[in-house]
Amino acid sequence: MTAHTTAIQTPVRHTLWDAPKKASVLVVELLAGLNPLVVNRLREMGLEPGQQLLSLGRGPFNGPLVVQIQDCVYTLERQVAQHILIQPQL
Amino acid sequence: MKKIVLVGKPNSGKSLLFNQLTGLRQKVANYPGVTVELKSGRFEQFELIDYPGAYSLSSLSRDEEIAVSKLNDALQDPATALVICNLDATRLESSLMFGLQVQALARRQQKAVVFALNMADELQRFGHQLDTVALSAALGSPVFAISAKTLLGIHEFRQGVLALASAAEPAVPSADHGDEQALRDLSRSLSRQYGIQASLVLKNQNRIDAFMLNNLSGGLAFLAVMFLLFQSIFTLAAPLMDAVEAGIGALAQFVTGFIGAGTTTDFLNDAIFGGVGSFLVFVPQIMMLTLIIGLLEDSGYLARAALICHRPLSFFGLSGRSFIPYLSGHACAIPAIMAARTIESPRKRLITMMTIPLMACSARLPVYALLISVLIPERAYLGGLVNLQGVAFFGLYMMGIVIALLVSLMLSRFVISRDEKSDMPFILELPNYRLPHWKPLIVRVISAAKSFVYRSGPVIFAVTVLIWLFGYFPHDAGGLEHSYLGQIGHFIEPVFAPLGLDWRYGVAILMSFLAREVFVGALGTLFGIDGADENIAGLAANIQADGLALGAGVGLLLFYVVALQCVATVATIRAETGSNRIAVGLVVGYGLLAYALAYLAANLL
Repeated sequence: MTAHTTAIQTPVRHTLWDAPKKASVLVVELLAGLNPLVVNRLREMGLEPGQQLLSLGRGPFNGPLVVQIQDCVYTLERQVAQHILIQPQL
Repeated sequence: MKKIVLVGKPNSGKSLLFNQLTGLRQKVANYPGVTVELKSGRFEQFELIDYPGAYSLSSLSRDEEIAVSKLNDALQDPATALVICNLDATRLESSLMFGLQVQALARRQQKAVVFALNMADELQRFGHQLDTVALSAALGSPVFAISAKTLLGIHEFRQGVLALASAAEPAVPSADHGDEQALRDLSRSLSRQYGIQASLVLKNQNRIDAFMLNNLSGGLAFLAVMFLLFQSIFTLAAPLMDAVEAGIGALAQFVTGFIGAGTTTDFLNDAIFGGVGSFLVFVPQIMMLTLIIGLLEDSGYLARAALICHRPLSFFGLSGRSFIPYLSGHACAIPAIMAARTIESPRKRLITMMTIPLMACSARLPVYALLISVLIPERAYLGGLVNLQGVAFFGLYMMGIVIALLVSLMLSRFVISRDEKSDMPFILELPNYRLPHWKPLIVRVISAAKSFVYRSGPVIFAVTVLIWLFGYFPHDAGGLEHSYLGQIGHFIEPVFAPLGLDWRYGVAILMSFLAREVFVGALGTLFGIDGADENIAGLAANIQADGLALGAGVGLLLFYVVALQCVATVATIRAETGSNRIAVGLVVGYGLLAYALAYLAANLL
């Protein structure tokens, strides 16, 4: 039964915005559409494919996302977080 | 004199290191071109210059752009002997990338670099040993583990810096680490090898944030902090203000008693003690506001406040980063407009700059304080917890903020076009929570007071003297009414008559377009010349006795909430936007709105 459901599931694209609170995730890809300067900054911050992040949840009022990247904590607004494809880590 | 350049990322203890190296021999200098405050000081035979912090050498916002271009200039300067790159030792991974960028740049200009890994005392606390020898070898530049707070390793660092800066041949970084991608990879691998585990360093921070950024507790904490901030401006500053007022009164009595009655005494009483003195009374409030904003900044809370405000402010076309300029706009609009440089989106930065003048800056305080004590009885409720005059103050502050938000909304919807491509998103680092460092903070508070006095003092002095001269002479003509000023005042009276205000207020308002606080000084001088009571503390009582209608008084308050009356602010807006149209447009726009509101109040109340 379990195997069957997995087989027919279309691949869901998870973005960092949807990452659950306290979840450790892997960056899969930075989607096109962001300003190249922003992409460059994100890479410098450590948002590169293969890197591990820790989502710390969203701020008040469904506000910006709080995420631990390397040894820093950043807040990213929705528009940015939705451009970062992730894979939940077990 | 040979120069040493100090650079680093924000929140990495750079200012503290600067203070430790230079002691009190430092000054703030405005360098030509774009106004940017660079602190410089003497370190032995060198001039040490503290450059503004930047997260990266590829800039996103205006402030980073300026910081990077200043650093480039310094590296090209032949007088620059050494670059000190100050990094956070507890966060090697995110710091080394910046360090490597600085190193590569210095290498291109053939300059020596030394790395100061600051806050090493925290590494000690976690029992982590940083292998500076191996790290130096890997980086190709000397590395020192120091703590500017506990002075750990400072002695060795001073000697190292002296030796490097006085060397005949600069110790140019030996290794070329390659392109940006290579630098990123290197910073990652070095930090894995030598750095402390991130989860250890961030444990406390993340625990506090779980509370501070929670939907309910975070929101309540934010409101509590803001309430305490504005409450303390009044309650904590009050005794200091009383002291200044008493001091000026005593000085006035002493000096004039010494001279005896005559024109000189009249001048001193009306223009100097009555005019200039009544504005000095507000210096303690400015100091208190600067102190509290500084405390919030040092503690790391301001970044959280910006995060919490981001969504609500976005609705009005602003960014979470607009919060900090808005907040410091309550002290003074000029540094606040400069602080808007940190807003990465040019559009949101412009809207923020255009609305900062609506924040109730400290120059409005004297005007509010005077008019409130004239109009609102001093009454306390709930056992002294709520003070009616305090509530009125709070109301005026809130009104400024609300009008600013509405104007922002209008500007972002209808006036300033939306260019998605040039719009930068909200990305902000949340620094660690820290206890404030008192010494630099006190220095900042004193320099805020000084710059307020130096900037406003001469204008207020000139205006009050001028008003006094025109108001006092011709002396035998039969009082103020018939003086030169009275004649001018009657000429402009028709403009202010619809607001229910007589010519004396008209003169004071007109003069206060130079700077708002002039209003109190001007009115103090005018009522001083006219009134028998020469006591400056009695200005409110004088006005009350003279009679100011409630509607006209409230209208006057509204006028000061909205109108842009500050030459320095207009000049700053002009310089920062590069547009005369915006600067003049704001003066006219806010002026008309202010007049309309004052008219409504005067005629409806």
